[in-house]
Amino acid sequence: MAHIHLGEGTFPLWALLFWTLLGVGLISAVVYRVRKGGIETHQIALAGIGAAASFAIFQLNIPVWGGIHMNLTGLVGILAGPLLGVLITLVVNIFSTAVGHGAVGLLGANTLVNATEAIVAYYAFKTLIGMDWDIFSASTSAATLGLSAGAFLMGAIIVISGVNGSALPRGELTIAVAGLVGLNLGVAVIEGILTGFIVQFLASVRPDLIGIVDRDTREETTGVTA
Amino acid sequence: MTTLSNHVPDPRLITAIAKRRDGLLHRVNPWTKVGIGGALVIAVTVFDRFALLAGLYGAVLVVYGLGKLPFQRLAGWYTLPMLFIISVAGPLAFLEPGTPIGGALSTSLGELSVTWAGLVLFLELSFRSLTVVTFTLTASMTTEYSDIVYVLGRLLPRPLDQIALLTYRFTFVMLETLENLVKAAQSRGANFSEFWSNKRLYAKIFGMMMLSAIEQSERLVKSMEARGYNGDITLYGDVSTPPVHELVIVLGFYAVVVGYATFVVYGVGL
Repeated sequence: MAHIHLGEGTFPLWALLFWTLLGVGLISAVVYRVRKGGIETHQIALAGIGAAASFAIFQLNIPVWGGIHMNLTGLVGILAGPLLGVLITLVVNIFSTAVGHGAVGLLGANTLVNATEAIVAYYAFKTLIGMDWDIFSASTSAATLGLSAGAFLMGAIIVISGVNGSALPRGELTIAVAGLVGLNLGVAVIEGILTGFIVQFLASVRPDLIGIVDRDTREETTGVTA
Repeated sequence: MTTLSNHVPDPRLITAIAKRRDGLLHRVNPWTKVGIGGALVIAVTVFDRFALLAGLYGAVLVVYGLGKLPFQRLAGWYTLPMLFIISVAGPLAFLEPGTPIGGALSTSLGELSVTWAGLVLFLELSFRSLTVVTFTLTASMTTEYSDIVYVLGRLLPRPLDQIALLTYRFTFVMLETLENLVKAAQSRGANFSEFWSNKRLYAKIFGMMMLSAIEQSERLVKSMEARGYNGDITLYGDVSTPPVHELVIVLGFYAVVVGYATFVVYGVGL
């Protein structure tokens, strides 16, 4: 989740309602699919604790450009899949909002952005692995692609909505937002590389998590401790 | 990366303040806080006058003070929200049409200046954002864990409610795991001050973190299924409906906000 959250009240009321409805529509569709397909206990546990890990990782300051924070949404998409990935991004957004990071009224817009990151990262990773790319290259590219898609969507959402109280024409607003998107693309590359190393590490200790071997063939835990 | 960032609120501190302190706001019903939060979101979106937005922010700060909550930490926690405001409103302050403040700086792309309209827009966006940020932090620091869990369980559809409840429960465990992993790496001589030369170390820490999360989830599944989990995590707490005087305040606030939007902003005639 390398994107920059938008502040509360940034959008006019119609845009707030529009993006909220779209976000609710996406979540409703995912919840419907999950309920219809029947969700297993291990999926709920994975989503819950995966979201907690993503939220905890956000608490750390990465010393690049004075300090950046990451939620590793691309990694969440690759590990949890598109449906659970979308639910995790919503839950992480809700908890982030509760600690003052992000906007309550923009939960819909932010969920759309982050869900895009998780979904694109998942499908890009599966496609690249199917094309015999190695784990690091596939996961780095997939995460960077997913986060870049999220950054562009975020820029598009701001330009379509306009900024509350601003008289700036859409053309000039696009120029102003382009810098923001560019910054996010830079962070996407960093987060993509980090995701690549993490997936490579996970594949070396638990290849079943990445779908390289069958999940049922592995029973024992690795007993991770500090 | 020696410790967790001090400009991101630590959920453990927030929960401890909610549990151990007993200010005026700790006794306010959690549903009332949810209601006021919703009204504030609409208010900062539709209010279009600088004085109103500044007044609303001032009022929320007074409420924060009434809750005996730490102002010094609040200033630190504003770092990220302000970064988000600057990232959107910063460029707009230069591009917004209007009268320049002071002189204009000549550049190869033309004259560059902050206009009065740009400055007002920047301040308005700051007030809008910080009003709700301050309120959500106030609500988080004055509502007990069990009440938040109950409200989440009521507001979210299944299975989102189950995921959110587990997330909340395990956030504390994950934070401790992360801190332990960082301390363990530091005790073995790791240096986190530079990212690029330590990117593999960062990846190992985060990888171990995700692995730990997944393995905890696998243990949790066994525990849940052994207890007969059938898609429902039982909540033993209860949050009653708000008292009449709190309901009146919430409804009154909504009436003012909706009334202002209808008659002042959108100019609907009576």
